[in-house]
Amino acid sequence: MKRKGILLLLMTTMTLLLSSCWSKKELTDLAIVSAMGVDKTKDGRYTVTLQIINPGNVAGGLVGGGGTQSPPVTIYWDSGDNLVEASRRASSRISRRVYYAHTNLLVIGEKLAREDGINVLIDAFDRDPDFRANATMVIANHTSAADLVKTLTPVDKIPANKVLKTLEFTERKWGENVKVSLQDVMMGLESPGGKAVVGGFRMIGDYKQARRLENLQESAPEATLRASGIAVLKRGKLVDWLYGKTARGTVWILDKIQGTDINIDWGGKKEAIAYQTVRQKTSLSAQIKNGKPHISVHTRVEGDIGEMEVPVDITNPNVITKIEQSVRQEIKKELKKAIERAQKDKTDIFGFGEVIHQSRPNEWKKIKPEWNDVYFPKSKVDITVEAYVRRAGLRNKSFLSGVKEN
Amino acid sequence: MPSLFKNGKLKKTRQQESKNNPINTGKYIQDSLSANLDKIHQKTGNSPDVVIRQIKMGSNSDIETAIIYIEGIVDNQSIQEFLLESMMKDDKKTKVNKQNALELISEDMMTIGNVSPIHNWDDLFSTLMAGDTLVLVDGINQVLSASTKGGETRTISESDTQMVVRGPKGAFTESIGTNTAMVRRIIKTPDLWTESFKIGRATNTDVTLMYIHGIANDQVIQEIRQRLNKIDIDSILESGYIEQLIEDQTATPFPTIYNTERPDVVAGNLLEGRIAIFVDGTPFVLVAPALFIQFFQSAEDYYARFDIATSIRLLRIAMFLISLIAPATYVAVTTFHQEMVPTTLIVAIAAQRESVPFPAFVEALLMEITFEILREAGIRLPKAIGSAVSIVGALVIGQAAVQASIVSPAMVIIVSITAIASFATPSFDMAISARLIRFLFMLGAASFGFYGIILCILMMVVHLCSLRSFGVPYMAPFAPFIPVNNGDTVVRLPWWTLRQRPRLISVNTIREGKNQRPHPPASRGMVNRALEEGDNNEA
Repeated sequence: MKRKGILLLLMTTMTLLLSSCWSKKELTDLAIVSAMGVDKTKDGRYTVTLQIINPGNVAGGLVGGGGTQSPPVTIYWDSGDNLVEASRRASSRISRRVYYAHTNLLVIGEKLAREDGINVLIDAFDRDPDFRANATMVIANHTSAADLVKTLTPVDKIPANKVLKTLEFTERKWGENVKVSLQDVMMGLESPGGKAVVGGFRMIGDYKQARRLENLQESAPEATLRASGIAVLKRGKLVDWLYGKTARGTVWILDKIQGTDINIDWGGKKEAIAYQTVRQKTSLSAQIKNGKPHISVHTRVEGDIGEMEVPVDITNPNVITKIEQSVRQEIKKELKKAIERAQKDKTDIFGFGEVIHQSRPNEWKKIKPEWNDVYFPKSKVDITVEAYVRRAGLRNKSFLSGVKEN
Repeated sequence: MPSLFKNGKLKKTRQQESKNNPINTGKYIQDSLSANLDKIHQKTGNSPDVVIRQIKMGSNSDIETAIIYIEGIVDNQSIQEFLLESMMKDDKKTKVNKQNALELISEDMMTIGNVSPIHNWDDLFSTLMAGDTLVLVDGINQVLSASTKGGETRTISESDTQMVVRGPKGAFTESIGTNTAMVRRIIKTPDLWTESFKIGRATNTDVTLMYIHGIANDQVIQEIRQRLNKIDIDSILESGYIEQLIEDQTATPFPTIYNTERPDVVAGNLLEGRIAIFVDGTPFVLVAPALFIQFFQSAEDYYARFDIATSIRLLRIAMFLISLIAPATYVAVTTFHQEMVPTTLIVAIAAQRESVPFPAFVEALLMEITFEILREAGIRLPKAIGSAVSIVGALVIGQAAVQASIVSPAMVIIVSITAIASFATPSFDMAISARLIRFLFMLGAASFGFYGIILCILMMVVHLCSLRSFGVPYMAPFAPFIPVNNGDTVVRLPWWTLRQRPRLISVNTIREGKNQRPHPPASRGMVNRALEEGDNNEA
């Protein structure tokens, strides 16, 4: 009995020595970092810009609110030879403990991404126990990361949230941007060829105006943030920006599009019918023919007709078939554009290499070393598109056809 | 049957009394009436409520008799009608002489049901104090005791502590006779056996053991009997005394004996093989052995349909967990695991906590203790001032406290949900133990975060598994796991599937026959006939 008691005591005291979430941190002692920007200074050091939430100004005038209007976030920055140094040094300016667990947005300056690449940064983010690997990564497009992080945004009081939500919705509803997490980027950079796509974001307007509270007091803020382009990373370095249809084609092949809008010409009028995709599925397969990789991209789209600017009688099934065919051509064109661009950049951002690896592991070993630079640009890509019109909204005939009859 | 046990018990108390009262010189009643009366006067300290009525009987009115009873605890009417009237007016009065006086009185005159002779003082006083009426005759060293228990008792009223929407309304009263009768009225089998005990040197409280012979486990009955016999205390004022004197484990916050004031609950438990302990003077009847899960079961669960009963039981268990760990979780989240909450929520909580001067743990402790104070004040307060507490209470844990920046609104919500959740446990004993353990959980959370909460839960589960109630494992149908008995635990399956009684409690486990599942009629003949009749008119 006595031995049992001693053993129990020993076991309970041992638990005290176990490392767990031991150190307690009061909520009021935390500086919650919502976004972090990393830039490169002229002398080759890193500047870390921290967007810290002022909880009292975000949650509204519940407790002690009102009075002086102050912004929902406060920015602190400091530089250092590496990220940890910079972030530790920043604490000399902040009254609280810098807390990275809610950092959902990581902004990399364009200059840094282009010149040094992001490979060197990733270790610090991944090693830190607080920092989340599912934080979204964004590359500042024609802006410094600091300016992007400093910009105040309307509607979503926390600017980081605005960026995240914009990316999330535009990726699904329009498809010219991607929302990728740090984890996705890491996986991409670790794969053969070290490629990744990262969403781009830019600040439009005056950078001085962007950080003022008055900017938010206008119905049309002078300086805003918007998603812009997809950054193509090769071996960690930014090599190209994709915009418009090329970007959409890329997102399409990556199978991330849910709904977008495809315009087709009809009856001599350009972009006359708007086709809204509702669901789509893209699958890749690969074959090796005569030692040359042969990729097939198959995509299946279902969607509705959203708008018709010409009178079309869609009660006729033949017309529907024709529309479907035009949609097919249109999509195929976009995908082709995206692939050609990637081949020109010599970066396999679509992961064709992985597909070959999975289906033809033996051949892959041979072509792997020169995949990105030799084989990928030359590989033949077959694109097949299946497109279906499922619904036509609440109308059948175009409004214009009714107007014409009268 | 009960008298058999009564005697056995009385012998024991007599031994104790003689040991403890050296004044009591003569054990047996003397011949002389006046000496006896003097002794009674002396023993009762001339209390005015001891009524001594002296009657002269016999042809020459030379036989002195005395009737002794205690005012208030006897049934005056029966003394009047069946004792005094018959003794004073009876024709046989003249036949009485010293030799046959007692015999005549007991056999011919007293028209009361239960009359027994008494020879010694201890028995005399115990029956007198219990409400019997004594008849003493001069020159005879024997006393007649007539059962005239009565007096004012509370009538049966609705249960205050265990309410149901559907089900019998009557609750037990303070009178043990009424209480046992209420159960007998429900279970009409001769196998419903009772045993009587008198416990408490001063109070001589009637304690009745009730069980169903053939369903209850004899070993458990023997164990309870033995533990009851071991009790040596001056008073039993409530069944809580007995509970604390016979429970298996004192060092536990969890109740290991169930108590109820509902006769239907007692009946249901008896039919599951449990044993009920009735104590005179309290409406709360003890039921043993008790299982942990029993405290989450309400009588209504068995009256409502099974799907409803099951979902309500699940809700109660969820509520129990909330009442245990809600404040602890809040403390852990806000001081250790800020990363676990969505950003917007943590920002909202942070904004509220911005102006609060205390750490989260102190804030939670403050609010929980305030709530416990309010609850306690609300219970003990005279009803007339009751509303004052709720008004002041609303200020203390509410808007005013928030506006004064002493607590955060989130904390108020947490305390409120905890309070409501703790009231959702049907058993008060279990709810109050959860309230106590909650503070331990908060302490664990404040020092180790979720790790501390899990540590506390582990300790609690280990402790629960170590408990026994009269030899039956407290966590019974779960640990040890008994699949057949799990139909009536956190879930309550339809009655026709609950064929077996709890295996560890009952010796006779078959409760109902096979194939009890209700079906629609096999042929549709009945339905068709009805249709034809209806159709005649239309055709």
